[in-house]
Amino acid sequence: MNVFFKKALVALVAATSLLTVPAFAQETVKVGMSGRYFPFTFSKSDVLQGFEVDVWNEVAKRADYKVEFVTSSFSGLFGMLEAGHIDTIANQITITEARTAKYAFSIPYVIDGVQVTVRKGRDDIQGVEDLKGKKVAVNLGSNFEQVLRKIDTNNEINIVTYDTGIEQDVALGRADAFVMDRVSSAQLIKKAGLPLQLAGKPFEKIENAMPFLNKPSQLIIRDKVNTALEAMRADGKLAEISNKWFDTDITQ
Amino acid sequence: MQSSFDFQYIIELMPILLKYLGVTMEMALWGFVFALILALGLALVRVFKITFVQHLASLYISFFRGTPLLVQLFLLYYGFPQFMPIFVGMDAFTAAIIGLSLHFSAYMAESIRAAILGIDKSQMEACLSLGMTRLQAMKRVILPQASRVATPSLMNYFIDMIKSTSLAFTLGVVEIMAKAQMEASSSFKFFESFLAVAVVYWVVVIIFTRIQHLLEYKLNKAY
Repeated sequence: MNVFFKKALVALVAATSLLTVPAFAQETVKVGMSGRYFPFTFSKSDVLQGFEVDVWNEVAKRADYKVEFVTSSFSGLFGMLEAGHIDTIANQITITEARTAKYAFSIPYVIDGVQVTVRKGRDDIQGVEDLKGKKVAVNLGSNFEQVLRKIDTNNEINIVTYDTGIEQDVALGRADAFVMDRVSSAQLIKKAGLPLQLAGKPFEKIENAMPFLNKPSQLIIRDKVNTALEAMRADGKLAEISNKWFDTDITQ
Repeated sequence: MQSSFDFQYIIELMPILLKYLGVTMEMALWGFVFALILALGLALVRVFKITFVQHLASLYISFFRGTPLLVQLFLLYYGFPQFMPIFVGMDAFTAAIIGLSLHFSAYMAESIRAAILGIDKSQMEACLSLGMTRLQAMKRVILPQASRVATPSLMNYFIDMIKSTSLAFTLGVVEIMAKAQMEASSSFKFFESFLAVAVVYWVVVIIFTRIQHLLEYKLNKAY
C-alpha cells in the first residue's frame, strides 16, 4: 500500500510538471478524423495518411500550430467536438443548414457532388431517380442519408445505414447501390479492385469544410485556419495535394 | 467475390496489430482491477445489508446491468462533458477504463455476492462465537472460500472485458480492432484483417483460460 502511495505521488508530481509547460510552446490543435475514409484519411502499414492529413500538416505549418490527429469512428467525431475533446474535424464534413446553425465552418476546401455507385454490370441504375424500391447503403452519421431522404419524398428508397464496409456489400450484391461523394467513389473503385461502377452523373453540389465550436477561443483557430487555406489555394498548394491523391483538383 | 485469400497480408498485419494489443490489454487489466474493487465493495454492502447504502448499491447494479456498455461509454465521454466541464479533461483511454469498470463491477458484484451467500451460515456464526467481528470473519474465513467459488465466473467477466475493449474505438482509442478497421479501409482486405484480429483475441483468451485453470488448481488444493 505504501509503495502504491509513493508511486501515486510520483505520478501526480509528473502530471503537474506536464501541466506547467512554458507558455511560449507551440499551441496544439487536435484534429479529429475517422482514419477509415480512403483516401482522405486512412492507415497503411500503421501510418495515418491521406488528403486530410496532408492538408492539415500544411495548415499547421502556415498557422504555426502543432497538429495532433485523433482517430475515432465517424459516429463519435461530432460528440468529441461538442465535448471539447477535439478542436475540429477533418473528415470531408459537408456544410449543411443544420450544421451551420450550430458550428462555425472554415472556408470550403473541397467541392464535390453526390454519386450513386453500383455493382459492375448493373446498368438498370443510372442515377438517383432509379433508386426507387432499391436497397441503398450509406454510412452511419454521414449526411448522404439526409440528402437521399430529401429527394425520396414518398419514402420509396430502402435506405440502410452502415458503420463500415458499404462498398463491400454492394460488390457482394447485398445492397443495390451506395451513395457517397463522387471523388472518393471513383478512387474507391480504382484502388479497391472491387467490381463496382459509377452510376450516371453526380447530383447536388456539396462543399466540405472544417467545423469549429462557436466560441471565441475556437473562432481564433478557425480564422487562422482560413488564412492558411486561402494562401494554400492562392499559391496552388491545395491543388497540388488534391492531385497527389485524386489525380484531379477537387478543391475548386 | 473473386478476390483470393491473401495469407501474406495477414502475416504483414500481425506485427501492426500486436503493437496495439498492449492498449487493449492495458484497458482490460486496469478495468478488471477497478471493477473487482468496486464489485467487492458493492457485494459486501449488499451482504451486510447496510441501511440506505444497500439501496444505492442495488440502484447502481440495476442501472449498469440494465443499460448497454456502449451507451454508458457515450454518456461518460460525450454526454457528461456538456454539463460538467471537468470531464472534458478526461482522455478517451481513461474514459474507456472507467466505463468498463463501472459496467462490469455491476455483474461481478452479483457473482461475488452469490459466492459469499454460498458459504454456509454456520461458519459466520462460529466465527462470531469465537469473538471475531463480522468484518474479521468475512476477511479471514468467508472471503477466502468465496474467492474459490467466484473465480470461474469472475474470469468469465474478464474474458468478456477483453473483448469489450473493442468498443473503445467509438471513443477514439486506437486499439487492435480500430487498427484492423483502419488498415482494412485502405487495403480493402476485410476478411483477412478481421480474421487476423479474431485470431489475436482468441489466442489471448486461450492464454487467460490456461491461467484460470492454474489458478483454480491452486485454490482447489485444500479440497
